[in-house]
This record gives sequence, C-alpha cells and structure tokens, in this order.
Amino acid sequence: MNKRMIASINENMEIIITRWEELMKVGQDEKFFHFMPEQLIEKTSNEFANLMTSNIAENDIVDVRQLNEFTEKVVRFGWSIKFVNKAIDNFSKVVFELLEEKGVIDTANVRNYFTIFQNWITPLRENIIEAYALEWERTVSLQKIALQELSASLIPVFEKISVMPLVGTIDTERAKLIMENLLDGVVKQRAEVVLLDITGVPVVDTMVAHHIIQAADAVRLVGSKCMLVGIRPEIAQTIVTLGINLNDFTTTSTLQRGMQEALAMTNRSIVEVE
Amino acid sequence: MNTRIPILKLNDVLIVSVQWELDDQTAIQFQEDLLKKMHDTTAKGVVIDLTPIDFIDSFIAKVLGDVINMSGLMGAKVVITGIQPAVAITLIELGIRLEDVLTALDLENGLDKLNKELEA
Amino acid sequence: MEFRSSVDIYTEWDIVAARQLGRNEAKKAGFGTVDQARITTAISELARNIYLYAGKGKIEIERFEESGLNGIAIIASDDGPGIPDARKVMEDGFSTSGGLGAGMPGVKRLMDEFKLETEVGEGTKITATKWLR
Repeated sequence: MNKRMIASINENMEIIITRWEELMKVGQDEKFFHFMPEQLIEKTSNEFANLMTSNIAENDIVDVRQLNEFTEKVVRFGWSIKFVNKAIDNFSKVVFELLEEKGVIDTANVRNYFTIFQNWITPLRENIIEAYALEWERTVSLQKIALQELSASLIPVFEKISVMPLVGTIDTERAKLIMENLLDGVVKQRAEVVLLDITGVPVVDTMVAHHIIQAADAVRLVGSKCMLVGIRPEIAQTIVTLGINLNDFTTTSTLQRGMQEALAMTNRSIVEVE
Repeated sequence: MNTRIPILKLNDVLIVSVQWELDDQTAIQFQEDLLKKMHDTTAKGVVIDLTPIDFIDSFIAKVLGDVINMSGLMGAKVVITGIQPAVAITLIELGIRLEDVLTALDLENGLDKLNKELEA
Repeated sequence: MEFRSSVDIYTEWDIVAARQLGRNEAKKAGFGTVDQARITTAISELARNIYLYAGKGKIEIERFEESGLNGIAIIASDDGPGIPDARKVMEDGFSTSGGLGAGMPGVKRLMDEFKLETEVGEGTKITATKWLR
C-alpha cells in the first residue's frame, strides 16, 4: 500500500475514529451502540480501527488472531452483521474523505486510490463476514447441544408411573432422541404407564403428531401404555382441523387428570388423610 | 442346526422364552409347535418373552403376528413380553405396528395381564 | 479408511450370516444399540429380498470414514430378474410374496441414505447408508 497514505492514516487516527463514531451514531436503527457505556465505545472503536488498519502495513494480510478476537467480541455485543458491514463502509468513507482533505488524494490519482481502497477493504470485509459467520455457526451448534441436553428425560413419579415433559419444537432429530430416551426409561423404570406432557410444545402439526403417535406405538410394543397429556384448547383445535387421528390412545387436558387416570389404570388412587 | 424353541406349560398357560436369534426355519417350526401344543393341552393363553432378542425383521414380525391370529382362532390369548427399546423402534420405523397385540414389560407382568384378560 | 466384507446369499442360513456380520461391523463402527438394530434389520430385509426374488446374490458391508464422518453402507446386489416397477416396491404395503410389504420402504426409513438401481433381466443393486452421529 501507498506509504503516504499509511502515514496520513496513522497521523490522523484520532480524527478518523471520532468522525467514524459520529457517523455510526447517526443511524438510529442500531440501538446497541447508544446503550454502550462511553468507555466501552471508545475501546471498541479503537479496536475496530486497529483491525481495519492492521493489514495496511503488513502486506495486505489480515491478522487472523486479532480478527477472531474482535468478531467474537462483536458477536457477544449483539452487533448485527448489517451493523458491522455499515461500520466497515463508514470507516472507509471517513478515511477516503480525510485523505482527500489532507490532499493525499486528488483528482489526478483518484483512480489509483480507488483500486488501493478496493484491495484494502474487500478482503477485510470478506474476512470479517466469514469470521462472523463461523462465530455464528459455533454459537448455533453450542445451542443445539444445549437444547439436546435439556430435552426429554423420563421422570419416575410413582411406582409404575413416569412422566416425560416435552418442551419446545420437535424436529425429526429430536423426535428420535425423545423416542430412545422414552423407551429406555420405560424399560429401566418398569413404568406401566407413561405420561407424555406436551404443555410446552408450541405447535403440534402433522409431523409432530406423527412422531408422538410413533413413540406411543413403540411404548405399547415394549409393554407399557402411553398417555398424552397437556393438550391445550388451541392444540386440540389444530389436531382435529388437520384430521390427525389420536383416537388410539388416551389423552387428557392436564397432567393432573392424566395422573389420576394413570393411578386408576394401576389400581390406585390418592386419598386425603384426616 | 435345527433348533427348537421350548414351550413350557404352567396350569392353563403356555410360556415361551425365545433365547436366541430367530432364523426363518426356527420361527416357522415354532409356529407349528405352539399351535400343536395348544391343541394338545387346551391352554387358554400364551406368554412369549422376547427379552434376549435384539432385532426383529418383517419376516419374523409376520410369523409372530400370524401366530397370534392363529392362536386367537383356536381360542387362546397371546401376550408378548420383553420387547427391547431398540427392537420396538426398528419395528415402528419399518412400519410394523403389531396392532391389537397384547404386550407387557416382563414375564411377570405378562402373566398378570394374561390372567386379567382370561378372567374378563 | 475402508473396511469391506461380504456374504454370499444362497440359502436362508446366509441371511443369518449376513446380519451377524452387519451387527458386528455396526458395533465396531461405534453405533449404539438402536442403530445396531436398525442396521441389522435393514440387512435382514435386503438379504431376504435377494433370497426370495433373485435366488442368489451378495451382501457387502462397508465401513468408511468420509471427511470426518463415519458410517456404514450395506450393498445388496444380485443378477436376478430386476424390479419391473421400482416405484411400486417403495410403497408401503406392496408385496408380491405375501409378506408385510414393509421391506423396501422400511429399509429406507431405517437408514439415512437409500439408492436403488435395477434393470429388468439384469439385476438389482441397493445401497443403503447409515451415518454415525
């Protein structure tokens, strides 16, 4: 990169950062920047400026470690990719204007500088977006693991009766996991009745119903009985509207009622003591 | 290599414990043996325990279903016990639901269930 | 890395041998009990199809590693009559032998990937793959 340009940028770094911050504050759509404490803004801005200029001196190669650290931070702040992209645009705009002001860029060499700018900003943008996407993927996969960990454990409530509360959306992968946990639990806990509680399942469509029916069928095969409890009014409505046939197994609106029926099935009941 | 599955009689109930992997011949032989024993002993019920079995394909499932239907024709009830989770899952995924088949977790529960069915 | 072993299917007993091999390979590949049952059952269905419809053929089990992904493939091949209506055999409940008609669509559901190549008079090749997650 052009030596005059580097020198000029380094000399005027503070002006660049101030102007860039002002420009970033203009956009009202991004709230994060406004709510950030003053110090943090300054620190982040400096880091961003450092990152933006890191490849100027070093033969146009982006410092990977620095880049990763920065993106990780940015993702944690909750900056959107749109915001980051705008930050890059604004930064290059501010630098261009400043270089024009200082007379480094004039009408004669503007074409040259255009290429220099492109070679500077494009790889940087690509790298930041890629790092951003990677960071995002990592977060998603971690959350997926977290979701799997909290999904579907079978809880022995009484002798012969267990409950599995289902929470969240059920996709094919989760459905398989639920089925395995359910059946293993039934056999280990010697549960004669299991209650599948779908209070926490937001939507029951044909696919989810299909998985539930399959699970109930499998439970029957291992020698137990599956009851579907926690059917909210809107779920009952969608089930009937979609024409899903759940007639083959017992369903109740609440876990309490289901539990009473389960106790009755195993010839027991809860009585009040004086 | 022709192995036969032993069929035990306890009062008016036949008890079958399948201890090893079923091949086609053994399965068909079992079908014949069970029906014959049922006829000879006038047993009213059968419990078939499948605890050691780690897979059932559509052929074996069909033989089992047939045995249950044939027993029904001869006036006997059948309870299947001890189907393993992995077996249940593969059966369901194969599309074999074994509807109307009585099942129980283990032999003990199976005998209870059978006695209840016979009383009813 | 690839490990390949095979069993020729001539008699009913070879079906037992094929699934025994499959179960062992699935175990070696690190599959859990449910997936072991899925793979063993799929092999049994495919081997029985060879025995019933083609008379003789071959079941190959391939254990492989592909870009960090481990898996097992069942390749069932024969030089039998082929399947005239390949779409129909994938329908639930379709059977020409008085079976349950669960075999082919069932195998597809049990495994992750399923490929059927068949030509009337030439033979049939089915490849079914299961990935280790």
